[in-house]
Amino acid sequence: MDELSGYLFVGAVLFVCGVICMTTKRNGIGVLMGVELVLNGANLNFVAFSRFSPLGLDGQVVALFVIVLAAAEAAVALAIALNFYNNHQTIDVDRGNELSG
Amino acid sequence: MNNGFGSLLDRLITETAGSYEGESAWSLEYAAGMFGQFMESSLGHFSPELALCATIVCLLLVRLFGCDKCCQPYWVALFGSLVSFGLAYYQFTDLQQTSQSEEFFTGLLIYDPFTVFFRLFLLLFLILITALTVLSGIPDDEDAPDFYCLLLGSTIGMMLMASANHMLVIFLGVEMTSVPSYVMVGFLKGRRQSSEAALKYVVYGAGAAGVMLYGTSLVAGVLGTASLPEMASRMALLVGEAGTMSDPIVRTVILGIMLVMVGLAFKLSLVPFHFWCPDAFEGASAEVAGFLSVASKAGAFALLVRFCLAFAGNPEGTGTLKEIYLYLGLGLGVIAAASATFGNLAAYSQTNVKRLLAYSTIAHAGYMLMAVSAMMVILNAPAGSLHDPLVDANRCLEGLLYYLFVYLFMNLGAFAVVALIRNQIYSEEVSDYAGLGYQAPVLCVCMGICMFSLVGIPPMGGFFAKLVIFASVFKAGQVHWLMYLILIIGGLNTVFSLVYYVRVLKTMFVDPRHADARRADVPFNSVPGLYAVMVTVPVLVLGIAVKGLSETANQVASVLFR
Repeated sequence: MDELSGYLFVGAVLFVCGVICMTTKRNGIGVLMGVELVLNGANLNFVAFSRFSPLGLDGQVVALFVIVLAAAEAAVALAIALNFYNNHQTIDVDRGNELSG
Repeated sequence: MNNGFGSLLDRLITETAGSYEGESAWSLEYAAGMFGQFMESSLGHFSPELALCATIVCLLLVRLFGCDKCCQPYWVALFGSLVSFGLAYYQFTDLQQTSQSEEFFTGLLIYDPFTVFFRLFLLLFLILITALTVLSGIPDDEDAPDFYCLLLGSTIGMMLMASANHMLVIFLGVEMTSVPSYVMVGFLKGRRQSSEAALKYVVYGAGAAGVMLYGTSLVAGVLGTASLPEMASRMALLVGEAGTMSDPIVRTVILGIMLVMVGLAFKLSLVPFHFWCPDAFEGASAEVAGFLSVASKAGAFALLVRFCLAFAGNPEGTGTLKEIYLYLGLGLGVIAAASATFGNLAAYSQTNVKRLLAYSTIAHAGYMLMAVSAMMVILNAPAGSLHDPLVDANRCLEGLLYYLFVYLFMNLGAFAVVALIRNQIYSEEVSDYAGLGYQAPVLCVCMGICMFSLVGIPPMGGFFAKLVIFASVFKAGQVHWLMYLILIIGGLNTVFSLVYYVRVLKTMFVDPRHADARRADVPFNSVPGLYAVMVTVPVLVLGIAVKGLSETANQVASVLFR
């Protein structure tokens, strides 16, 4: 169990860093980098659990799927960020303030 | 390679259903027999989704070969959805006789009446929304294939959510639903508002998905399995060993469950994860907003029910375990009451119709969540406090399914009228609707019926649906007093909500039309008028003839409690 908790600790640190990054960054790309940190924290958990717990190969399969999905999501998110930049000449998420109420 | 793929296909069909042994020469009977055999295999169970996948490929090919001038993309999309609907309907009638529940694709997905009910629901909605986009013309000819690909892809994701039996599929379904939705929200490319809405949605959505995945990793890792049917027994074992709720390992699992719930609450736009909903709806076109508010909610509710029942489906648990689930159920109830209250209060001051309907969507997600919460509370009642918890829990789900079905028509009706009126007066502000009741009476009357149904006034369908849900919350009140409080909050909310819906109707029918305002001209016998009537009539029918659907819903839900 000791070996496992080391990996889980790193995963938790990645998760917390990612969440802090998502909540404090103004730059849209910065927020997306936070999301990647969170996803990779979870991925590390999955791989560690598949090595040290009865989860087995399921964990590794999930990790592979997550890598693919993260790539797809990043592609879409970057396209949307680019579209936002084209319309607003900025990538600062706080400048998107036309919709509120 | 070819051989490998061929043998894989062969294994998927014959090893899951057996090869067909009948007449070997080709004849109509032989083909029918083969079809029956195919429908019993894993691929056959998945055939509605496969039909949609094939449609997506066709849509891309149609444009590749430049046939989109002679064969409009929406015909391809409509035809594909109809084929898929037909397959799902075949499965539904087939299952009504056997009402079996079967895992397929090595336990990743599950095939039972609940799955197929949601497939039918989602495909019916897909057909109606595709018809609406044809009428309102929101994707222009240039972008139409892309738009329909996204729409169909998102629907496949929702169907996966409804048939999830494994943590991987839960995450896959949520992502497959979300990623196309982000793009659809930002589909009006040149519009500043649309791009802002898409950016907000993608930022919040990606964050929620990440948090959900982390929760999934904790749950699956600590319990040592990612398969939903095994969760309950593993959890019982874990809590049985620890004996208390304060054990760190038990706490880790509960934290994981809560993080997964965060992801689902985001999809359901529940307080406090609702920020994206009004912004996304206002920036997106009304058609896309309608799609998000109905289909994506339905898929997420199906997933929530499956996830909750994976843990708490068995009423014979031990003391500590029941306590944990009871508190989870009560927590869901509190969130439900908060969502209903917040949604209704925030809707008061809105001037944009889509934004108003977005807050109304939040409130309705709250009402529907009350059913899930009541189900959790009833299932985990202390032994002996309820006569037959399984029957009562079944009633809760029946209410949820009935509500969803009525919600499909009434919310689609409201958004369709918003889209059709926008095409006439180029505005979605409530103040610009003044006096429209005399220029486009059929649209406005349909809007009125849908809105009265959203409030829950008899004899509309919304009334009966709310009644069933409130009745099951009342039943859950016998287990814990908090549910009575939630019931009272729900009842008060219904009264509050009347005000802002009626405000829109008052603007339409009482206020005079400005002399220089754009004319809206939608006669009764035009296609848009008939579409609005077609969507609104079921709202009335479901309010009067309740027996058929409620019995079907009851039967569909009962398969989950065996």
